[in-house]
Amino acid sequence: MNKNSYIQLKELNKTFNETVAVNNINLEIYENEFFVLLGPSGCGKSTTLRMIAGLEDITSGEVIANKINISQLDPKDRNMAFVFQNYALYPHMNVRKNISYSLKLRKVSHEEMEKKIHWVSNLLKIGQLLDRKPSQLSGGQRQRVALGRSLVRNPVAFLLDEPLSNLDAQLRVEMRHELIKLQKNLAKTFIYVTHDQIEAMTMASRICIMNNGNILQIGTPKEVYEKPNSVFVARFIANPVNNILTTNIKHQNHSHNLECLNIELKRECLTNRDLVYFSIRPENFYIEKKNSEMASLKVEILQIENHGHDHLISSTIENNNQKIYFRLNKFHNLIIGESINIYFNTNDILLFDINSEEAI
Amino acid sequence: MNKISYYNRRFGYLLASPAILILVLIILVPITISIITSFFDYTLIDRDLDKFTGLKNYFSVINNPKFINSFFVTISFVIFVVLFEFLLGFLIAILLNKVTKFRNIYYFILLIPLLINPVVVGLIWRMFLHPQLGIVNYLIGFLGISPVNWLGDPQIAFVTIIFVDIWHQVSFMIILLLAGLASIPEEPYEAARIDGANEFRQFLDITLPYMRPVIIITLLIRLIFAVKTYDLIYIMTKGGPGEATDLISYYIYRSAFISLNLGEAASMSVLLLIIICVIIFPLFKYMNRADE
Repeated sequence: MNKNSYIQLKELNKTFNETVAVNNINLEIYENEFFVLLGPSGCGKSTTLRMIAGLEDITSGEVIANKINISQLDPKDRNMAFVFQNYALYPHMNVRKNISYSLKLRKVSHEEMEKKIHWVSNLLKIGQLLDRKPSQLSGGQRQRVALGRSLVRNPVAFLLDEPLSNLDAQLRVEMRHELIKLQKNLAKTFIYVTHDQIEAMTMASRICIMNNGNILQIGTPKEVYEKPNSVFVARFIANPVNNILTTNIKHQNHSHNLECLNIELKRECLTNRDLVYFSIRPENFYIEKKNSEMASLKVEILQIENHGHDHLISSTIENNNQKIYFRLNKFHNLIIGESINIYFNTNDILLFDINSEEAI
Repeated sequence: MNKISYYNRRFGYLLASPAILILVLIILVPITISIITSFFDYTLIDRDLDKFTGLKNYFSVINNPKFINSFFVTISFVIFVVLFEFLLGFLIAILLNKVTKFRNIYYFILLIPLLINPVVVGLIWRMFLHPQLGIVNYLIGFLGISPVNWLGDPQIAFVTIIFVDIWHQVSFMIILLLAGLASIPEEPYEAARIDGANEFRQFLDITLPYMRPVIIITLLIRLIFAVKTYDLIYIMTKGGPGEATDLISYYIYRSAFISLNLGEAASMSVLLLIIICVIIFPLFKYMNRADE
């Protein structure tokens, strides 16, 4: 991956009437990376993507691709490929015509067109579908055709707007792998919008997490998972939940006591704070003490969810009543209502400011 | 097929029978009577169905130059009316489709002509177009145009009738086509914009194919109603001047209730039915193909 910025958003804004959809965002996307815009619905991620494509007018700011300001260009002149959530195939054209429509409009020669169609249909394994209409295709096949349509033009970047969310779970996993492979093979920049954190975690070179039109954090999947910079990111990048709790702090000399967990933490950042958010991921709890440095916590079991590959157990901290989730990958004979000790490493505790909700 | 499903089928027919009976009574019986009547010498003066004349009525109708005239008047009337209403209606629908504000208000305004009885439309326009007292001649007077005898001149009267019918019925086209346009999803247009299609290509490659079933059904309905146009002629021209606006429905009415020759009128009705079927059959076939 080339770390030169390839597509750049400068102070990009979008307002619909009075509503702010995208709020002054700055973003650099590198060449050939798989960049994922992640966030809950209505966070502005799709609007951002559509502004890059030129489907949405820009209220203010700039979109720069390959050092050229393309903010005012027509979608067709930006040479970006766009894949829609519901495929947006032309229903009355067969697959061949769907794929070659943009070439036909550019008056590409017949031989060239056939060559491109051949290349795309081999790449996406849709050769046997070329004469069918979109209505005769399954969801997965339609998505392949939609990808094929975007491929033939040799675009500078691929913009994908939740392309997998209309597919069933099994197919989604397959298409995920194919998209990763495709991106590697083509060595092109992909900008991928999704609300599904698993898609983001599995596919992205970098993830950009958005909420309410603002960028909260940009980083590799590992970074955003292990070092979320805010309560929102910590809560959002979690499958299926993360523990976000509050605790009072008692200060003694240089050590600080998190009352809720009843442990001492020697972190500078806790000085002058009396109340913080903290988070420990459910998978960082153990039912046995693995080493002598582990802290323990007494909890009462509320509920046990069997996820097949592991168990998600919800419990309450004794004398505190805050809910805490933990995961066990083996079946343990736990009984609802039982009080047990669970163990964790104090290094796994992340702390957030109580007001700004930012990591400290 | 086992016994239970056979019983269920019979029970199903039993439940459907009242509806079928009503259909037979109000549609099939009158049509059959008309067809039978068309083979008899049946007038309002001699009302016994005792003189079977075979195809005599049909031959005399086909050999009647007045019928032939009204046949061609009807054909040209239908072609002009449906074509102009469609083109004008489609154009207005496309323009209105871009207007998202005040949609309820203009829908209501569009509905007004359709809510007016055709007889009333005829009366209103007859007053507007009156050579001496009408507002139309008064207004064009300001432009220095001398009064026009809108309904008195054969050529002008034909055009006038077409104009009034367009005024009355174009809303129907607009409303149906507008509903069709509003139901086209936005994404194919966006995909086409990215693929590089200009507005005209988008219209050809997305709007028209999406609209095909709506266009066909709209044309079909308007075509059938246009062939049957009667009230407007009865109020405004009585088929005149001469026979310039003598539409076939009005001609049938005259031969039945003025010439009192019901047998002949019945044979003309049957011919009209056949003509309508011949026109709409290919459209129906085309529509079914479009649905696949």
